[in-house]
Amino acid sequence: MSSINIEKSAEKGINDLLRHLLGTGKVDAVLAMRMMKSSGTWDLALVTDVENLAELKPLAPVMTVNASQVLSNLSLSGKKIAAVLKPCELRGFVERVKREQGSLENLITISHTCGGVFPLDLVIEGSVTDLLHKYEKVVATGEIPSNIRDTCKACEHFIPMNADITIAAAGECKPGHGCMIYINSDKAREALSECGGQHGNALLDPVALEKLAAARAKEREKLFSSIEKDCSGLDGLVNIFGKCVGCHGCSRVCPICYCTLCDFESANFDYNLPYFEEHLARKGALRLPPDTMLFHMGRLTHMSFSCVGCGMCSDVCPVSIPVAAVFSRTGARTASIFDYVPGRDVSEEIPVMVFKEEEFPELG
Amino acid sequence: MTEATGTPFVLNIDKGLETSLRGFLRQLLESENIDALILPLKVPSGDSFAWIMLNDAGMVDDAVSFPATMPVQGAKALRSLTRKERGELTVMALMRPCEIRAGIELSKLGQVNTENLILATYDCPGAVPLQDYVSDPAAAEKNFNKFFVTGEPDNNAKPVCASCTDFSMVDSDIHFGYFGVREKGILVIPGTSRGADLLKKMDLQSDSVSELLPVWKAEIDKLTEKRSSARQIAFKKTEKDISGFTGMLNVFANCIGCHNCQSACPVCYCRLCYFGSEASRTNPEAMVNEAVKRGGISLPPDRIMFHTGRLAHMSLSCVSCGQCTDACPVSIPVADVFSFVADQTQKTFEYKAGRNDGKPLPLRDFKKSELPGVHKLVKDAEPGGASHE
Repeated sequence: MSSINIEKSAEKGINDLLRHLLGTGKVDAVLAMRMMKSSGTWDLALVTDVENLAELKPLAPVMTVNASQVLSNLSLSGKKIAAVLKPCELRGFVERVKREQGSLENLITISHTCGGVFPLDLVIEGSVTDLLHKYEKVVATGEIPSNIRDTCKACEHFIPMNADITIAAAGECKPGHGCMIYINSDKAREALSECGGQHGNALLDPVALEKLAAARAKEREKLFSSIEKDCSGLDGLVNIFGKCVGCHGCSRVCPICYCTLCDFESANFDYNLPYFEEHLARKGALRLPPDTMLFHMGRLTHMSFSCVGCGMCSDVCPVSIPVAAVFSRTGARTASIFDYVPGRDVSEEIPVMVFKEEEFPELG
Repeated sequence: MTEATGTPFVLNIDKGLETSLRGFLRQLLESENIDALILPLKVPSGDSFAWIMLNDAGMVDDAVSFPATMPVQGAKALRSLTRKERGELTVMALMRPCEIRAGIELSKLGQVNTENLILATYDCPGAVPLQDYVSDPAAAEKNFNKFFVTGEPDNNAKPVCASCTDFSMVDSDIHFGYFGVREKGILVIPGTSRGADLLKKMDLQSDSVSELLPVWKAEIDKLTEKRSSARQIAFKKTEKDISGFTGMLNVFANCIGCHNCQSACPVCYCRLCYFGSEASRTNPEAMVNEAVKRGGISLPPDRIMFHTGRLAHMSLSCVSCGQCTDACPVSIPVADVFSFVADQTQKTFEYKAGRNDGKPLPLRDFKKSELPGVHKLVKDAEPGGASHE
């Protein structure tokens, strides 16, 4: 492995890196977060002109969409693309690739040690720029900012897995130390062989991130035990998901839920009259539309072991259900049964796709 | 406002508005003239409501006749019950006028079958935004109560409610009118012969109708006038905000493409929206080429196209219920835009969403010669046309 140190801030360093990749034709386009200067609004942008790179804020703690969703289609363009992704976006994309929803072939994936992202509510208030300074200071010291998504506070996978290039942005990014760029693949080494900066053989030092790891583990325990308390048993689930309005926004912004037509929106869940009559006869009442809880249980069954805890689902919920906390906790448990870590390795098979003649004998 | 069909009755309100109305609904169920009721009930966490179909008369007392907010548009409840099979159950639903209007639009679109439904409405004071209710139910109830009493939605109501002129009797089977007469009684007004037949079977009195009806009508007229002027002001502002492509771009700048607005919309019934389908997926190579042409593009692509497409697809049936705005995670005033555009498109075809007057949906009605003005518009928009001179 090798590294490059650019004697600048992480943000300026990564812009230099992208300028090198796009300017020298190593890639045809760059995918990253952008802040539009004119309006102050944020979006995910695909930039092809070097002049427009200045508008990009690749390390900003903003996620308007989980970029892995957009990357699915984009990765099939046949063009070389450098994609700057949060670790959970990269893991989400790896999970999508396993489901044949994209390809890593023409991509140079760039990720960074992640301090977490602001909830969308904060982003649209237009105050990101004001909050950024404090955020960067807190994150550089390996602490957890108080105003990031709940699931970010509790995320233990803030070090990218399998990125071609890793940038040190959280916990190891002290002023004056320069922008550390770690090169993890031959593809990246080739692309960056002539990139400016001091080339070396440094390795990302997880020890420097231990403080953050410990803080995150503590938050994770806190979040998971509070959710465990709130949603245990059917009563707990009804209490949490009872106010769901059935918009299914959570599934549409989910990086794992890739189905064009979700089963729960299909004709499979339209009912004949006897269904309603039977419920009326048995319970005297039923909810319309039905299957509010079934949708969430079903989605947990379909995707929880691949949940990367990005938190998009909670951010788009119109009734503030802590969807992401429930899903990431359940996901952590279902994945651990299979000793599976979503997004860890593209060659690792999705547990439910693997047939074993003997498995979970205790369930039989 | 729709006119009555047959004789109105009066419910006495000895036990208060809400309880008296519920009492009548309970009587209806116990009389076995209907098989079930669809009413809102508080969810267990207490911070929202859900539509419940019930035939257990005891549960009517747990229901809420006038919910302060509208978590799920009622037409969706009607759709889930009747989309697949019409059924023999006679079910009465008590909903806001915009919910019943959406239900009527869905019946024209073949997504709701009203044959065995009794659609009931009430004078609607407006609703508080869903987020406001969820984050502080007690405060929201308090705010709601203010305009529940006056019939004039204020700043704490959904913006589209303040400019809604279809807040009273629409084409429902039965309407409960109480604005202006709430101290004296609830007018029970049949809107269809089906409604009139059902009411005849109940033991209702009509002694004070001649006294209350004109007072109620005058109050509705007064409130309609107020809401009409609020509507004009709101439309003027929206027109200014969304004018031109830059305007649309500004209003929808924060859109993340989650399509919550579409899935909360009662009229957007498609299981698979065209804009979520494979057919609408941009060719990835073309997407990069477009970026090359422009130096960069915003992703996901076609976010403005989604909204203009949806306007083209459903604005003729838009009932301005405001669910789209409530569901938007980035606070875009979707309903303001859709309501404004819907007003224009519906006027163009002399159509009004939610009426049950036998008029077909404009897009399903073929006329050989129609809208001559459009020809000129198209001509002007062509390169070298008038607008480019």
